[in-house]
Amino acid sequence: MNPRTRIALEFVLDNLVWFMLLFVLVVFSIFVPNYFQLGIFANIIEASSVLGVMSIGLALVIIAGHMDLSVESVAALSAMAVGILFCSSGIGLGVQLHPEWLMVPVSLLLALAVGGLIGAFNGYLVVKVKMSAFIITLASYIWVRGLVLVISGGRSAQDLAPAIRWFGIQRLIGLPLTAWIAVACFVVFSLIMAKTPFGRHLVMIGGNETATFRAGIRVNRNLIIAFVLAGAIAGLAGWLLAIRTSGATANLGVGLLFNAFAAVVIGGVSLKGGVGTLPGVYAGVLLLSAINTAINLMGLPANFTQVIHGLLVLAAVLLDAFKQTIRQRLA
Amino acid sequence: MNEPLLVLDNVTKNYGAIEALKGISFSIGKGEVVALLGDNGAGKSTLVKIIAGGLEPTSGRMLFEGKEFLARSPAEAKAAGIETVYQDLSLCTNVDVVANFFMGREITRKVLGIPVLDERAMEAVVGKALASAGTRIPSLRTNVEHLSGGQRQAIELNRFVHWGGKLVLLDEPFAALGVEQTRRGLDMIRQVANQGIGVVIITHIMQQAFQVADRIVVIRQGVVAGDVARNKTSPDAVINMITGETLAGAGPAG
Repeated sequence: MNPRTRIALEFVLDNLVWFMLLFVLVVFSIFVPNYFQLGIFANIIEASSVLGVMSIGLALVIIAGHMDLSVESVAALSAMAVGILFCSSGIGLGVQLHPEWLMVPVSLLLALAVGGLIGAFNGYLVVKVKMSAFIITLASYIWVRGLVLVISGGRSAQDLAPAIRWFGIQRLIGLPLTAWIAVACFVVFSLIMAKTPFGRHLVMIGGNETATFRAGIRVNRNLIIAFVLAGAIAGLAGWLLAIRTSGATANLGVGLLFNAFAAVVIGGVSLKGGVGTLPGVYAGVLLLSAINTAINLMGLPANFTQVIHGLLVLAAVLLDAFKQTIRQRLA
Repeated sequence: MNEPLLVLDNVTKNYGAIEALKGISFSIGKGEVVALLGDNGAGKSTLVKIIAGGLEPTSGRMLFEGKEFLARSPAEAKAAGIETVYQDLSLCTNVDVVANFFMGREITRKVLGIPVLDERAMEAVVGKALASAGTRIPSLRTNVEHLSGGQRQAIELNRFVHWGGKLVLLDEPFAALGVEQTRRGLDMIRQVANQGIGVVIITHIMQQAFQVADRIVVIRQGVVAGDVARNKTSPDAVINMITGETLAGAGPAG
């Protein structure tokens, strides 16, 4: 094999999920009526913003060789906290701040803090007490959702303060600001992972924790930061979710965790840790969203989505194994 | 012998009721190569881990450059100038050669106050270091998982030569190397020692020990069973010390 085909092949393998996305978009554009419109594409990006943000945090922790199952519940708790404070009907307290725009940073910080705290709690137990991340975050997944039910009493908050809602309504080049926030998050965290020592260390910790410890990298500190970030990012996802639904219900975001997992795996992140990039994860998120949109447009019952997502995850894992064999031949 | 770099004074390590090290005392001078020999389970690796900050001793003390020294983590040992090459390689196979070479010590430049990896500078350094050691690796940007065992070990060896420090600990560094690469590795050790760096090398191969070491320290059942200058002993005598048949030419035994 000559070097040029080899480089081309490596490039395709590295960015396979983007090619899949492109392929799916082309196929849908040809076969699904009304699919090929700017509005549809904008909708795909818009609909994927909450899932996208949540997937970033999940991907960070998985790349570092751990697991965070709590992101969905953390997002719900953050959304509920924002909802209770700043919604004016239902269980909302309708807190007013002056000037009104002050509610934006306050609600955002609240959401980030709620998420960051739970992330710190998870991180502490996993890293310092050396318990399995799977079990700890599974527990958090359950008790945090329970907390949402407790503080809401199973009821919902509606009518989020207009100053905060503004982010979901105001559009820039056809996309609401919430979607731009998600895109910005991907850009920022992709750069952090690819270009900074912190990101490099996370990838290496996921690859060989012992080696990084021996090399003098502060493994525990980095891992706790990763968990705190995953929590805080989930909090941001919750904030976006509250804006999107203009409030919060007790079962807000149920099922998002598995979609986030699907996106992360489809995006090329290995559950063994150390492998995967955030642009890939974004492509995974968009791919799921593109398929959902197609299902909606074709008028298929929404129940099909879950079947298709499941098969897609399966396909992604098989594809990953296939990619590995090709890479070994290349080496 | 010139002034000691590291002195171990009655260092012990217990795992529960098991005494892995029963009291080890010896010293390493600047620019000196000490071969640490001993049968399997004699406590060589435990000793290396204690010096390198991977384990804490149960009792005893160490002096590094004349000062009381105890590394609570590998990071502390590194900061003091102690580099270690472990038996099981310490490479992250999921990243490339450059990233492994600079693991934990990346060159960065500030962009808007944020440290950003300076890949070009790092690649240049690695290219130079590998070239001067005669190691050939097709691309510095290949992930280490695609490299052979010998290439991996070469990266580790070049890494310690490059970073140097004051004391280098090598735990069976040539296990995966071929004849020619081993010879080059031994040259590297000499070269490092000539810069005034102390070297402790653990090996099973008597011939290597006699080729490179100034002094041979034998550990048996957690105590120093022999501490002799290379030119005052013979492989047979050392084997006897390892197996415990005689204590001929032995230094202070615990």
